Amino acid sequence: MERFIQELALFAPAVLFNIYFAAASIPIGFVLAIGLALGKASSNPWLSRPSRAFVYAFRGSPLFIQFFMFYSLALSFNVSLWKPWGVSWFVLHPLFIGPLVLTLNTGAYTAEIFYGALRAVPRGEVEAARAYGMSRAQQFRQVIWPNLIRLAWPAYTNEVVFLFHATAIVYFALPVIGLQKDLMITAKELFERDYNAFLHFSVAALYFLAVSLVVFFLFGLVYQRLMRHMPAPPRMRFQPKWIR
Amino acid sequence: MTDDIAYWFSYLTNGKHLTWYASFQFTIFAALAGGTLAVVFGLIGATLKNSRFFPLRLIGTTYSSIVRGVPDVLFFLFFPLAFEQAVEWLVATQVCSPEAIAVQTAAWPPCKEANWFLGTPEYLILASVSLGLVYGAFATNVIHGALRSVPHGQLEAARAYGMSAAQVLWRVHIRQMWVYALPGLSNVWMLIVKATSLLSLLQIADIVLWADRLGAPNFLPTVGLVHEDWRWRYYLVLFVFYILVTLISEKAFNAIMRRAGRGILSEAQ
Repeated sequence: MERFIQELALFAPAVLFNIYFAAASIPIGFVLAIGLALGKASSNPWLSRPSRAFVYAFRGSPLFIQFFMFYSLALSFNVSLWKPWGVSWFVLHPLFIGPLVLTLNTGAYTAEIFYGALRAVPRGEVEAARAYGMSRAQQFRQVIWPNLIRLAWPAYTNEVVFLFHATAIVYFALPVIGLQKDLMITAKELFERDYNAFLHFSVAALYFLAVSLVVFFLFGLVYQRLMRHMPAPPRMRFQPKWIR
Repeated sequence: MTDDIAYWFSYLTNGKHLTWYASFQFTIFAALAGGTLAVVFGLIGATLKNSRFFPLRLIGTTYSSIVRGVPDVLFFLFFPLAFEQAVEWLVATQVCSPEAIAVQTAAWPPCKEANWFLGTPEYLILASVSLGLVYGAFATNVIHGALRSVPHGQLEAARAYGMSAAQVLWRVHIRQMWVYALPGLSNVWMLIVKATSLLSLLQIADIVLWADRLGAPNFLPTVGLVHEDWRWRYYLVLFVFYILVTLISEKAFNAIMRRAGRGILSEAQ
């Protein structure tokens, strides 16, 4: 038991790295996803085709390959660009590349969720807004966006948890610098020291589960706030789908 | 011009590249075996979850929620390592003499005789089982939901014909379930395909590992620098490869769904 508590303390700094990767990529990915979803739904082929291709490419390939690809791409520009500009310490740092790739990845997955919600916005409401003489921007701000975010929120919660799980492979693809280790690397190194797979991996799993539950709780609160106008606030299903 | 073509042809067919092309078989094997096992584990899990006996139902529910609640990489790494250790421990209880255990200085295995060396084929099989276990939990949920979507009248009709419970399950319930499970199973298949990129984490010399080796700056003492860091090109090839696999799988699943849904689903046009 004492060993278990020591182990929990050992993993506490590691979980911060996973939280950092998720927290750094989710807000930017959210904004990117709105743009991509609107682009995908746009009638202009110069906007919709690239957004469609981007979403398809990033949803259709493994995150692991995306990490390797972007990291090696950044490395190949090192001599010609980053070194002369003196930014290679920053651009090649896993704490920068990691969130960058995760942002692009979650942007694509979230865009697909938002695109689905965008198509589910009631047509009549948009038509009513147009009949009131609202401009395109007003329509989006006052009618489409409030509908969209309410429709998309449960699926988006699921995506955020999945992204947090995806942070487990960041350091398998990027170099570990010094003591900057996330949960998986910590578990793996401890395992290589004393070969106690059951203890180390279970503690890492517990941390992942705990943070996921916190995310569900917080996002559930936001959902209740979003739905406060409903007579009986629909509770978010506590058993999530966990599938992307 | 022809020289260029000849050069590129010989470059792309040198021994290392041929090994790279051959290593695609590991990825394809892991995806197919993992997919099949996922469906098997999914069926078992859904049956357990549907069981009338409470402990079995508990096992089914725990399996599907715990495995889905932790990252797939974690379980993917944990299962082969834990399995290897469990086997070594079992062997150790049989073959290790107290003297051999006393001599052993490393933390694991208990004695030298109990060491079980795993090569690529063994790890590949363990990785497939691992994929099957992880994504079987997803398939459990898909199949559990599909079993509940089968119209009740169909089962009642089967029972009215005097079929036993097992006959109803196997001849009517599970046969009709596939149509409802296919969209979810296609999602699970896409996840498995993407998860096959993780094989290199288990020391399997798969496409990712070879792409890394081939792309690394290549310097030969006799020729000089053959090429600089080309890793991103090789990863780009893999990126495109996975997108193509997704595209083909999507098309294939649409065709299967159209065929399986004949006369049942009006949406599946």
